[in-house]
Amino acid sequence: MTFSPELEARLAKMLESYPKGRERAALIPMLMYTQDEVGHISKELAEEVAKRCGVTTLQVEEVVGFYTMLRTKKMGKTHLQICTNISCLLVGGDELWQHASKKLGIGHNQVTADGSISLEEVECIGACSWAPAIQTNYDFHHYVTLDQLDKLIDDLRRIQ
Amino acid sequence: MSNPVNLTIDGKAVQAAPGTLLIDAAKQSGILIPAFCYYEGYSLQAACRMCLVEVEKFPKLQAACTLPVAEGMVVRTEAASAVQARKTTLEFLLTNHPLDCPVCDKGGECELQDMVFRYGAGESRFTEVKHHVDEKQWSPVVYYDAPRCILCYRCVRVCDEGMGVTALGITHRGAYSEITPNKGDHLNCDQCGACIDICPVGALTSGIYRYQTRPWEMEHVGTICTHCSDGCKTTLGVRNNEIVRGNNRDSTGINGEFLCIKGRYAFDFIKHEDRLQSPMVRRNGKLEEVSWAEAVKAVAARFAEIKAAGGAIGVAGSVHSTNEESYFLQKFARQGLGTPHIDHARSGDVPALIHALAGKTDALATADSLYHAKAVLVVDADLSQQHPFLAFQVRANVRHHQAAVYTVTRGPVREEQTAAKAVHTADYLAGVRGLGEDLKKHADLVIVFGDGIKGAAVGELVAFGDSLGIPVRYVCLVDYSNSRGAMDMGLLPELGPGYHPAAVRGMSLPQMAASQDLAALWVVGADPLAGGKRLASGKAFVVVQDLFLTDTAKQADVVLPSASAYEKSGTVTNVTGQIQRLKKGLNIMGAKPDLEIFGLIARAMGVDAGRAQNEAVFEEIRKSVRGYNVPLPVLATGGAAQAQPVNGRVDVLPDPELVRSAGDTLFTSGSLGRYSKILGSVMEAPGALYKG
Amino acid sequence: MAINQVFKSASAIVQGLGITFKEMMKPTVTEDYPDVPPVFQERFRGKHELQRDENGMEKCVACFLCAAACPADCIYIEAAENTDKVRISGGERYASVYNIDYTRCIFCGYCVEACPTDAITHGHGFELAAYDTAALIMRKEDMLVAVPPGARPPVIAEAAASHGH
Repeated sequence: MTFSPELEARLAKMLESYPKGRERAALIPMLMYTQDEVGHISKELAEEVAKRCGVTTLQVEEVVGFYTMLRTKKMGKTHLQICTNISCLLVGGDELWQHASKKLGIGHNQVTADGSISLEEVECIGACSWAPAIQTNYDFHHYVTLDQLDKLIDDLRRIQ
Repeated sequence: MSNPVNLTIDGKAVQAAPGTLLIDAAKQSGILIPAFCYYEGYSLQAACRMCLVEVEKFPKLQAACTLPVAEGMVVRTEAASAVQARKTTLEFLLTNHPLDCPVCDKGGECELQDMVFRYGAGESRFTEVKHHVDEKQWSPVVYYDAPRCILCYRCVRVCDEGMGVTALGITHRGAYSEITPNKGDHLNCDQCGACIDICPVGALTSGIYRYQTRPWEMEHVGTICTHCSDGCKTTLGVRNNEIVRGNNRDSTGINGEFLCIKGRYAFDFIKHEDRLQSPMVRRNGKLEEVSWAEAVKAVAARFAEIKAAGGAIGVAGSVHSTNEESYFLQKFARQGLGTPHIDHARSGDVPALIHALAGKTDALATADSLYHAKAVLVVDADLSQQHPFLAFQVRANVRHHQAAVYTVTRGPVREEQTAAKAVHTADYLAGVRGLGEDLKKHADLVIVFGDGIKGAAVGELVAFGDSLGIPVRYVCLVDYSNSRGAMDMGLLPELGPGYHPAAVRGMSLPQMAASQDLAALWVVGADPLAGGKRLASGKAFVVVQDLFLTDTAKQADVVLPSASAYEKSGTVTNVTGQIQRLKKGLNIMGAKPDLEIFGLIARAMGVDAGRAQNEAVFEEIRKSVRGYNVPLPVLATGGAAQAQPVNGRVDVLPDPELVRSAGDTLFTSGSLGRYSKILGSVMEAPGALYKG
Repeated sequence: MAINQVFKSASAIVQGLGITFKEMMKPTVTEDYPDVPPVFQERFRGKHELQRDENGMEKCVACFLCAAACPADCIYIEAAENTDKVRISGGERYASVYNIDYTRCIFCGYCVEACPTDAITHGHGFELAAYDTAALIMRKEDMLVAVPPGARPPVIAEAAASHGH
């Protein structure tokens, strides 16, 4: 499996930052960055990462299975994550979720037909102080109202 | 013990070495702290929370499996708070665990069942529907029932650390966690079944034992595995004259809990439909079933005739027979039949090693020394494939004592994964010499060598060992359960029992086959004419004693059905010279142990070869075979007594060209394994196999 | 012969017949056993019955607990696994062989108490006499109750289908 030269450089630097023989420490960051490029963690990708980190494919699958941020199926170009954990729930996180789901016509961990947006109901994303919070890929949106969510989704659709 | 730590456990003053884990210290003083995930010899997990104990001055309960002992520690293992915590833990474990104990294979010997009996938690506050996942079959021998799993990680660790295979992992999270095999839906591994045995509950079950019976219904017969030469003790579960399982959970025997697929599952050859159950005599060119009396009479009459006429009788001994049988056979042949032509299929040059070690003491390694030696050198052997128990010992040594492993082999072997240095060469001695400087650094060394080192090379290897200036001990690898014993008992044309030169040098097996005037060939549990070879002498009277109709038996004039190691008693000697006793597990109708057959033939011929009875023959072996004067109580109690035949030169050395290992792997073993359907059913094998 | 002796004899007969006639009026306590089937108390521990569930599947899952509880060691079981083709019991396992040796059974009821699935119960069968002791070793088929009406256990349903029903 081949990656872009930028990613290759990043991975090489990553492996250098751990002592020799401890390449497995790079497993999670390596999975995250390669996922960003490839889109999801395929069997092939898991094998490639396993080879680079000196672990078995099964051990990579253990990690992938454990973390919800590592995904084995292809998600939308924008991955919309709505927190419904306690802080956000108290100030309308659940309404945001219901609204987004209805508007996009998809449920948890599903992708729109055109593949542009995917939706995920997530546990705490560490933005309780600015609840209700949502995340699009790596970007946070704070104090989100239903109108803002509407606008956000419309914008996302327009970009595609 | 240097500066022991003093502590109090349950009011009992206890001393333990510094660094000892609390759970071990308690066990040493007879206090059992319950635990699921903790398992002696494997890495710590602290996942199950069963071993929580109250320790004074600690604000909360502590996990005894990860807490090292400290001076003045006061521990209460059964404090009310600890008992309550365990009860709650059990209730929690039972939230998804199905209560199908009546059908579960583990019922009756389940650790979870025992714990719930002990601590209660008979009622659950959990009213939600249990999370159910269907049972999966991962291989012909491994089944996994996820809801029963309590996620103790024992199987994952035993596979990774104990076996060096890493075929199991845990995927997903929380209540949805599941053990996962390395190939997604199936296992590609050694199929050793260690994960099944180590499972505290019935999550991993064996495809062979599955739903067959219950643990208390079986008779447990501790005997020695009859496949490879490692001599592992396997406890056969016998019910209604049938073996339903093999394991060694009581950890007696040299192998502790270890067993490979052969010891644990490949006992099914004894019930193969091709098993011979009646003697046969050739009449009009066809083998016809006859009575034992008739068959024995036919053999005895013909032997007596040939003996009287001065014809040459060739005798081929077995590498699976007991020491008693081999000894009696060569004695009967040499004294009763008056023939020097005795041989067996040799797979390691033990006589050359004994000769090279003349004058040394303590130069033969045992299975235990492979676990304690500071360094191990493996020459021309794929231990994981051919000697799984020795490989397990080496892995445990690396894990527990950081031993240095060196390998000199033709191709890649599993031991390389943890080896300090691995050399690939076909010139083994050169490869070994290249490691001289590295080996010298270690306090002691065990050299394990296969059939690539034989004849003069053995002497050179020992000379190399001497040159290192450190204590070196040796293991000469041989193939089958009593290959070593067959040699010690003198089933050789050149050497009698105890490596004393035979009065007359006889013919070796290839010479017998090529001899024009061989009058008779008596084959006991061997297959010298495998692959349809023919004897040069067309008139030879061929008698075969075997479990199955082998290629040789198909050419025989008389075929006598013999008993396997699981159907008789006696002693066998393993690859490292440890003598252990077989215990009879069952009867197969029609088959007789070889010793009994020898006795019948001797009596019918009117030859006095001594009593054909195990104890009497072994008494004679103890007197006449050097190194075999072992204490009987050790054997009687199921222990392994070390034969140490190293004290003198072997004056006549057998031809090294006849030494050839069969190169079996984990899933093949020519003579018996081909009749085991289980061995035949597992296809995939781990890693690059060592192919000859 | 003295007349009083005659009276004495006559009164004895009357007295005796009086008891007879009195008892004739009362309900009978003896049973017409071979002609009329005997009536038992519910708790009577007779020959065992192996029960079926409401679907007609055997309740026995071959857990061997009855055999373990048996003080007379008279229960012999061989277990087998239910498969998609052959499905006998509700659990994963069923008893392929289930024998009770009535020459040894002492009708203590421990097996019934031990059974986790209520598969074995004591029936009211009591005619356990035989000319041959071998006839007293009952097999599963001898003890198994009939399939309840309307139930179609898989194996039987399959057999019925193959017969063109």
